[in-house]
Amino acid sequence: MVKSSVYQMSRLTDLQIRDAVQYDCILLGGGSDARAYEVLRKAHEKGVTFIKVLLFDFEERKNASDRKIKDAYNRYTTLHDDITLLPCSLKDPSGSLKAIIGHGFSFNQKSRLAVDISAFTRPYFFSLLKYLQDHCGLLTVDVFYTEPMSYVLPKGLLQSYRASLGPLFVMEVPGFPGFTTGRKKNILVFTLGFDGDLSVFISEEVTPDSVVIVNGFPAYSPKFKDISLMNNERLLNASDAKESISYCRASNPYDLFNFLVVLRKKNPDAFFNIAPLGPKPMALGACMFALADNSIRVVYPMPEKYANVSTDDCWHSWRYVVPLGLSLRTG
Amino acid sequence: MNLEDSYRNPFAEYNANKMDSKTILDYWCDPFAFKKSKAIQSGSFSEFDVLTHEMPLFFVGGRGTGKTMFLKYFSYPVQLEQAKRDVANGTISSIADYFSKKGAIGIYVRVDGPLLRSFKGKSLSQEAWNSIFSHYFELRVCQAVLEVIKDLVLQDALLVKSVEKDFVTQVARCLHVKPGRNVNLDSLIAVVNTDIEAVTRFRSDIVFSDIEFHPRKAFTTGDLFTVVKLVKKHIKGFLSSLIFPILLDEYENFSVDQQRQINTLVKFVPEATTFRIGMRFEGFHTFDTVSKNEFIKTGRDYQEIVFEEVLIKDMDYEKFLLGVAEKRLEAVPIFHKKRFVDIQKILGTRADLETEARELISNRKTPDQHFKLLKDSGINIPLDKAQQLLRCPDNPLLEMLNILWVIRGKPPEQVGQTMADYLAGKKSASVAKYRMDYVDKYKLSLMFLLCSVYRQHKRYHSFNTFCFLSSGIVGNFIELCRRSFQIAYFEDRETLFEKGTIDSRIQDSAAKEASSAELKMVNRIHEYGEVLYRFICNLGNIFRAYHTDVRLKYSETNQFSVDMGTLHDQQLKNAFNAAVEWSLVQKKPRLQSTSPNSPRRVIYTLNRIFSPAFQITYRTRGQFSEEYSEEDMRKLMFEDNVKPQVSLVGAESAGTIQQQLSLEGGSE
Repeated sequence: MVKSSVYQMSRLTDLQIRDAVQYDCILLGGGSDARAYEVLRKAHEKGVTFIKVLLFDFEERKNASDRKIKDAYNRYTTLHDDITLLPCSLKDPSGSLKAIIGHGFSFNQKSRLAVDISAFTRPYFFSLLKYLQDHCGLLTVDVFYTEPMSYVLPKGLLQSYRASLGPLFVMEVPGFPGFTTGRKKNILVFTLGFDGDLSVFISEEVTPDSVVIVNGFPAYSPKFKDISLMNNERLLNASDAKESISYCRASNPYDLFNFLVVLRKKNPDAFFNIAPLGPKPMALGACMFALADNSIRVVYPMPEKYANVSTDDCWHSWRYVVPLGLSLRTG
Repeated sequence: MNLEDSYRNPFAEYNANKMDSKTILDYWCDPFAFKKSKAIQSGSFSEFDVLTHEMPLFFVGGRGTGKTMFLKYFSYPVQLEQAKRDVANGTISSIADYFSKKGAIGIYVRVDGPLLRSFKGKSLSQEAWNSIFSHYFELRVCQAVLEVIKDLVLQDALLVKSVEKDFVTQVARCLHVKPGRNVNLDSLIAVVNTDIEAVTRFRSDIVFSDIEFHPRKAFTTGDLFTVVKLVKKHIKGFLSSLIFPILLDEYENFSVDQQRQINTLVKFVPEATTFRIGMRFEGFHTFDTVSKNEFIKTGRDYQEIVFEEVLIKDMDYEKFLLGVAEKRLEAVPIFHKKRFVDIQKILGTRADLETEARELISNRKTPDQHFKLLKDSGINIPLDKAQQLLRCPDNPLLEMLNILWVIRGKPPEQVGQTMADYLAGKKSASVAKYRMDYVDKYKLSLMFLLCSVYRQHKRYHSFNTFCFLSSGIVGNFIELCRRSFQIAYFEDRETLFEKGTIDSRIQDSAAKEASSAELKMVNRIHEYGEVLYRFICNLGNIFRAYHTDVRLKYSETNQFSVDMGTLHDQQLKNAFNAAVEWSLVQKKPRLQSTSPNSPRRVIYTLNRIFSPAFQITYRTRGQFSEEYSEEDMRKLMFEDNVKPQVSLVGAESAGTIQQQLSLEGGSE
C-alpha cells in the first residue's frame, strides 16, 4: 500500500522565517561546478542551518590539474566550521558508505538530515538514499538541489553536451539490483538527458522488451525538451520508443514518481529497469520509486571519467521532502 | 485502415534480444539455405549439427552479425512456436514429434552485462564472488531448464505423470529440498527463484555493510546441470532421446573469473547437454578452467565458427541479405500488397558511377577543374590543349583516366587516341589496357579522385554498395536500410509508396548518418574507447590520403598488417584486441602479401561501415597494405594526424586542403 503523502517542495528563496530549520548534518558531494556548494552558502540566509557537514571528497575531482577548477572544488573550506571529509571514489559508492560510521557519523531514525544532490552523480545519491533508508532507518530526508543556470555545450546546442567523458560501461546502481522473479516482461524506463550516446548504450546492454521514455517538460528552459529529443535520436528511431514518450516536470521529482507508480500498476508482471539520465530532480523521483519497490533495477552508464565542470552558474535551489520507507512492491 | 497509415519502417526492429518468438520466426532467414555449394569447408555446419553436435560450439562474430538471432532461433520458445505452426499446417503430427525430429531442445540463457559486472568489489574477496557467481549461474540454468519442462508439460499431457512422479523427486534431491506431498514442479521452481533472490538480496546488501553470504544450499560448478540428466532419465517419452544444449549469449561480457567457470563446463561437458555460445571476436578473456593446468583448446574441447566467414565465404551473402530484407518487407502491408519486396529494386542494384560523375560536373562554373591536376603534377601542357585532347564530356571518369595516364607518363595525343579507339569499339593492346584500367581497376578510384578535386562527397547508394558497406555484418545492412527508409518516409514518401524506390541521395544521406553514428560510438566503447577512436580516425584519414593521391599509386587502400607477436606493450595489444572485438577492424581469413613480392601476413581491413565517414572505398581490393610495427601502432593510437607510410600527392594540393575528420568527431 502507498502511504498517502502530500509532497513538499519549495524554492530556497521562497522559504519564510517560519520555515527555519536546523539539520544535524548535511551530506554533500565535493565538486567544481558553481552549484556544488550553493545551498551551503545560501541556506543560512533563510534560517536553514546545518550543525555538521559531511562532504564526500571525490578523489577523481579534488586534484584537478586546472588551478581554477581545483580552487572551485576547495571553496567548501570557507563555508562552514565543522566539515568532515569522507574520502571516496565516484566508481565505488559502497566503500564510502561503509566508512561513514568510521568517520564518527551514526545516523538513525531520529536524525534530521539534509542531502544536497547537486554535485553527486546519480548512482552515488541513489546509493546514499538507499543507505539512509535501509541501514539507518530514516523515514524522511530533505533533499536539496540547485539548478544550473545553463549547461556547458562546447559546440553549440546539439550533440555536444557531455557530463561524462570517454568509454562507458553500464552497471547496476549499487543497492538497486532489482528482483526478476515472476516478471515476464522487461521494461526499460529512460528519463531523457542530453548525452544521447548513453541511452543507446544502456538499451543495447539491457535489451528490454519495451522502452518507455520520459522527457523533462516543462524544463528550466523551453529548449531543453527539444535538445533531449534531438540528441537521443538514435534511441528514438531504433526502437518503438518514440510511440511512448511521456512528459514530467523536470524540477518536480514527485511528478515522475507518480508517473512511475501508474506505469507499474499498468504492468504488474514487468521487470522494471530505470535509467535516470534526465535532470537530477527527475532522477530523484526515480530513486524514490525504486526505494519504495525493491523489485526495480536501476542501471546507469559508468564513464571512465566525468567532466569536471558541466554546468555554469546557479539558478534556483530547491528543497524536497523525501519520504523514505514507503512500500509499493506488488509481487 | 489505409495502407499508408499502417506503414512502419520494415527495418526498425533490429536487436534480436528485443524480438519475441513470433518476430524471430517471421524474420528468420536460414543461413544454411544460402550455401554456395555442397562442398562444405571445415568449420561449416548444418542446422542439425547446431542442435545436436556433442562438441560445444562458439559462434564468433562482430556486433550485429546475427549471433543472438541465431541462438534465439534454436531456443525452446522459438522452436515451440515453429512446432505449433507445423502442427497447424499439418507438416508434423505433434509438438513431441517436432522436437524428436530436431533431436534437441535449446535452453537459452542470457545474463546481461550490468548484472555480470556486479559480482565484484564492495570489499568482498574475488574468490568469494566467484563462488557466489558459480552458485548463481547454476541456479539460472536450473531455472531455465525447469521452466522449459513446466511449459512442455502444458503442451503434452503425456509427460505429466513421469514429471510429477520421478523427475520431481530426483530434482528435489538435487536441490536439497525434502521430498514430500507438497513438492511439485512449481514448488521446485519457487525454491530456485527464492535461491536466486537470495543472491540478488546479497548483492544489494553487501553495498552497505560487510555481510557474509549464507545460501540455503551452496551449489558449485556443474551441480545443477545434473537436472538436465534427470530430464532424460526420469521423464518418459520423447525427452529421453534428446540433447539439451545451453545457448549462452554475449560471452565477452563474462569476466575472466566467470569465463573460467564456464570454460570448466565446456571442457567437462555435463551429461545430456552441450554448449552453444555466442561471442564477439577476442571475446575469450581466458582459456583457463577452474582446475589448475587444465585449459580449453579449440578443436579438442570446442569448435569455433566465425560468423562473418560463414556469411561471406561459405554463403552467397548478397542472396542472404536479399532474403533478410524480403522477410521484413513482406511484413509491411503496403509493400506486401504492392509487391515492393525486392530490396534490390528499391535501392537499385548497383551505383552508376558515370551518371554520378556527370552530375558532379554539370552546372559548375569551372567544370574543367580536374584538368588542372596535370599542371599540379608538373605536366607542362596548356589547359585548352589538354581539354582538346583528353576531353570526353559524356564521361568525366574517362577524362580522369586520361589525366591519370598522362600523369603517369603517356603522351596526351596517344591517350586521346586510345580513348577514341575504346569508345569506337576498336581492338588493340592499348585499348585492352585502357579498358582494364577503367572497368576493372580504377573506375571507382577515379570517382573518389574526381570528388576530391571538386571537394564533393562521394555518394554511397545501391544494394550492392550497402552489401559492401555492411562488411559481413547483417546488422549494418539493416541499419543502412532502416535509415534509408526513415529518411525516405519523411522526404519522399510518394516515391517510396508509389514507385517502391528510394532516391540515391536519400540512401547516401542514410549511409553517411549510419557511418558517422558508428564512428561516434567508438568513443564510448567501455575499454580503450578514446584510444580506439583515435586509431580509427588515423586509419581512416591515412586511407583517405591514398584515395586522393593523383597518381593513384595504391588506390583504394583500406587495409594494413600488424604482427601481433611484435606487440609487446600489453596496452597496445589489449586495445587492438578490443578493436577486433568490436569489429572496428576485421581480420581477413587468409594470409596475404602487403605488396607484390612481400611475405604473406595477417591482414586487417577497416570496417567498411566507416567508408562514408572517411570518403573511402567500400570495396576491398587488397593489393597493398600499410605495415605497422609496434611504434606505428602506438602513434596510431596515441597521436593525431598520423601520415601514410607512402609519399602521396594529394589531389587537393592545388591550394585547397581537404577537410580531415577531426578527433573531435566531425569536420572542422
